[in-house]
Amino acid sequence: MGDLTLFVPEAVVLLGAIVAFVLSVIGSSYRVNWIASVIMAILGVAMSIAWLGAAGEPFFPGIYRVDAFSQLLKVGITTGLFLSVLIAGNPGSVREHSRIDFPMFLFFSAVGMMMMVSATELITLYVALELSAYGLYILAALNKRQREGSEAAAKYVLFGAASSAVTLFGISLIFGVARSTLLSEIIATQPTPLMVIGVLLALSGVLFKLAVFPFHAWAPDTYQGAPHEAVTFIGTASKVAAVGVIARLLFLAIPAHDSLVNALLVLCVASMTVGNLAAIVQNDIKRVLAYSTVAQAGYILIGLVSFSSMGVASAIYYAVIYVPIVFCAFLVVCVLGADGSNPTKSSIAGLYQRSPLLAATLLVGMFGLAGIPPTSGFMGKWFLFSAAIKSDLLWLVLIGAINATVSLYYYLRIIKEAYLTPPADETAIKVSPATAIAAGLGMTLVLVMGIYPRLLWELAEAAAKAIN
Amino acid sequence: MTSSLLTMMLLCPVVALVATLLLPGRHHKAIKIVNALCGFASVVLAIVVWMQYDRSAGGYQMLEDYPWVPTLGIHYTVAVDGAGVVLSMLTALVFFTGVLSMWSLEKRVKEYFAFMAALVIGVFGVFISLDLVSFFFFYEVAVLPMYPLIAIWGSTRKEYSAMKLTIYLMAGSALLFPGLIALYTHGGIGNWNIVQLAASGNFEREFQIFIYPFLYIGFGILAGMFPFHSWSPTGHVAAPTAVSMLHAGVLMKLGAFGIFRVAMTILPEGAAYWAPSFALFATIGIVYGAFVAMRQNDFKYVIGFSSVSHMGIVLLGLNIWAAGGDAAQAGLDGAIFQMFAHGIMTALFFSSVGFIYDQTHDRDIRHFGGLVSQVPLAGSFFIMAAMCGMGVPGFASFWAELLVFIAAIKTFPVLGVFAIAGLVFTAAYVLRVFGKAMFGPRNPDWEKLVDIRVKSVAIWPRAILVGVLLLFGFYPSLILDMIRTAVAGGQ
Repeated sequence: MGDLTLFVPEAVVLLGAIVAFVLSVIGSSYRVNWIASVIMAILGVAMSIAWLGAAGEPFFPGIYRVDAFSQLLKVGITTGLFLSVLIAGNPGSVREHSRIDFPMFLFFSAVGMMMMVSATELITLYVALELSAYGLYILAALNKRQREGSEAAAKYVLFGAASSAVTLFGISLIFGVARSTLLSEIIATQPTPLMVIGVLLALSGVLFKLAVFPFHAWAPDTYQGAPHEAVTFIGTASKVAAVGVIARLLFLAIPAHDSLVNALLVLCVASMTVGNLAAIVQNDIKRVLAYSTVAQAGYILIGLVSFSSMGVASAIYYAVIYVPIVFCAFLVVCVLGADGSNPTKSSIAGLYQRSPLLAATLLVGMFGLAGIPPTSGFMGKWFLFSAAIKSDLLWLVLIGAINATVSLYYYLRIIKEAYLTPPADETAIKVSPATAIAAGLGMTLVLVMGIYPRLLWELAEAAAKAIN
Repeated sequence: MTSSLLTMMLLCPVVALVATLLLPGRHHKAIKIVNALCGFASVVLAIVVWMQYDRSAGGYQMLEDYPWVPTLGIHYTVAVDGAGVVLSMLTALVFFTGVLSMWSLEKRVKEYFAFMAALVIGVFGVFISLDLVSFFFFYEVAVLPMYPLIAIWGSTRKEYSAMKLTIYLMAGSALLFPGLIALYTHGGIGNWNIVQLAASGNFEREFQIFIYPFLYIGFGILAGMFPFHSWSPTGHVAAPTAVSMLHAGVLMKLGAFGIFRVAMTILPEGAAYWAPSFALFATIGIVYGAFVAMRQNDFKYVIGFSSVSHMGIVLLGLNIWAAGGDAAQAGLDGAIFQMFAHGIMTALFFSSVGFIYDQTHDRDIRHFGGLVSQVPLAGSFFIMAAMCGMGVPGFASFWAELLVFIAAIKTFPVLGVFAIAGLVFTAAYVLRVFGKAMFGPRNPDWEKLVDIRVKSVAIWPRAILVGVLLLFGFYPSLILDMIRTAVAGGQ
């Protein structure tokens, strides 16, 4: 056994799940459960930051690695968890009698994600993947409007199960060739075509999580039907975890470069284009965000298919900054949809008159997604594009940049609704103190990482070196 | 020499932005005063920069350099050469006068000045940046506030125009992304410094020829380059007065400046290769813009298309420089001078039209007549701007246009002839506006128009702009010496 203290961040989040579970069993009120969860989530973030420099193996050799890479992503995941919990003080879209269980599933899922990014053995990886997924499946079903919640969850589970099966099949192929499930030993084996197929199949399970085309079909429906607070978590933390796993798996295939890269290039271009074009015609804000996620996944793939240390660093950077950016957008959805309905373009109209804070949060979120300085989205895209051009992918950057232009159209239209269209209902929107703090925190993170990207970028570079 | 003058100048709009955000929205007066003070401070600092700049030494001065993302070689590097000095002055003047000319604004004052300050931050940043990343960072900061500024406070199909403008400009950025990053990766010196990249000599001819159009067209869209100019007139028409002033006065200059500072400086061979083709487009822009302006009935459309025409002169001058030869220097001098003169002139144009429009809510020149006798002061400001646009001697743009056209005749004789023919159209559309709106029979509907009062705030911005136009019209050497030092050091 290795140094168990390396497992502290995960253990704290796991403890958070247990606390939430115990509180729900002894019948405490949701309020108490929520406050405890917020505290545990803060602890989780604090521990992840404190363990940023840690490195080593807490368990048996080779199966679970703590390094600069995993730790940075864990900060991203716990930040997503914390922010999602923070705005769930009164989760209007979650069914009343299920509320008490809501935090528990968030925490369990977060533990799974944190383990995903540290797992260096295929079975461990698979188990972590499923652990994170089951929590999300249940969360998706908790919508107050039961029909839609069930639909969202059913689609999510079915697609998820299918992609898990594909992943398992891929893993079995990799095992068949390498006769090991340890990544360290797989890397050492001579790659064969079968191995490349195995890696590609194994990847598809994670590409599903990231909602990359053509594994994106679940995203719009699940985003639309799941409770807002659950989608906030799915849209932030799970993307970070997925990027982490893809980055790890891809390096298995580096020797057998070409065919895999070509496959991923196609997915990357298709994701950006399909996501952006589909987002234009959506009316439901959550569906817009779902398709924008597909497009953003494409941008992240730009970094990964660059197959360089800088490319991985830029993908990690983008995944981490993506958490507060998307959070800003979802926060507005959560507040506007507090009665359980889904905000549409018309319900966002005149947001500025009804709540300047929410309008500003939305503005920062949309500018972040569109990659406008001084938000961190700009620097994130700049790094991704730089990495791609270093790998001679000028055309890919051109496609990416044109896509960013297209995406600006629908992001700006949302901002236009919020700032220009007069509201149908002029009542001011009440924002709870916790949500106001969350909004301030989200905006600050987006702007600070945009103006002062240095710190996070250096961590991302260290992370990329750690898996190389 | 180290000094933090430039950063201080950049901080003026930053202070304006922060103060505007912190002040409660109902204190209109306080917000306007803060912005005016910051604008005034930036003018003062721009003058100090002008004075401090050592013309005999030339080159880039007042350098400040701080690492931003050191592992990627990204720095915050600012410095000015003569062109930077001149254009910073232009920005400061337009910022200050822009605030003053919106003194009577009542609608959503706080956001207006916040967005405007954000835009000015971007513009200042571009004119002084020497690092490609900070250059582009500021460039994008400058472009985006145009959307809300036009969409909220504008008129005439404002949402359509705002979206069109933004999409056009972002499409330009889509070309700049690969172009700029390729300079970094290909430069192979591990940083983004424009001067060092230009000096590195690592760009072989094929690469230059391939990448140059990305940068030229990417920046050119913002400069109103024909045939990608159509966002510009619609944008002008929809924008409120001060935004039009900023838009035509400085924002379009960013594009031309980007071509000069980045594309032509780093890729001289590519620039020389493409110069004849792009000079052709510039000339078409000159003639076409003036030609279309002749047929417009909306004051702002006339000015909008005249901007396309005048920016064509800037681009022609730049291409003459890129092509090399005897007249290169004159071409560049003229181009930079024209950027400055056109910036001031259009600002004056829009602020005069804005003054009339604010009262009448009508901009159709056929609905006016005899404005000079109805509102003598406002009318004469308009006439001065228009004469400057025609290139009448005594105004700044006379010298600028003269330099460009003389150089054009030497370098591209055929294009030069056409460009000069464009001046005839310019005279035609200006005189048409004079005849219909300024002189002629008075329109009884507008007898009650109130003229600019001599003691009001409204007169200040116009008076300052006219003063600047005349000053440089009579003493062109003041500005030409400055520009020349720039270029001597820049090459």
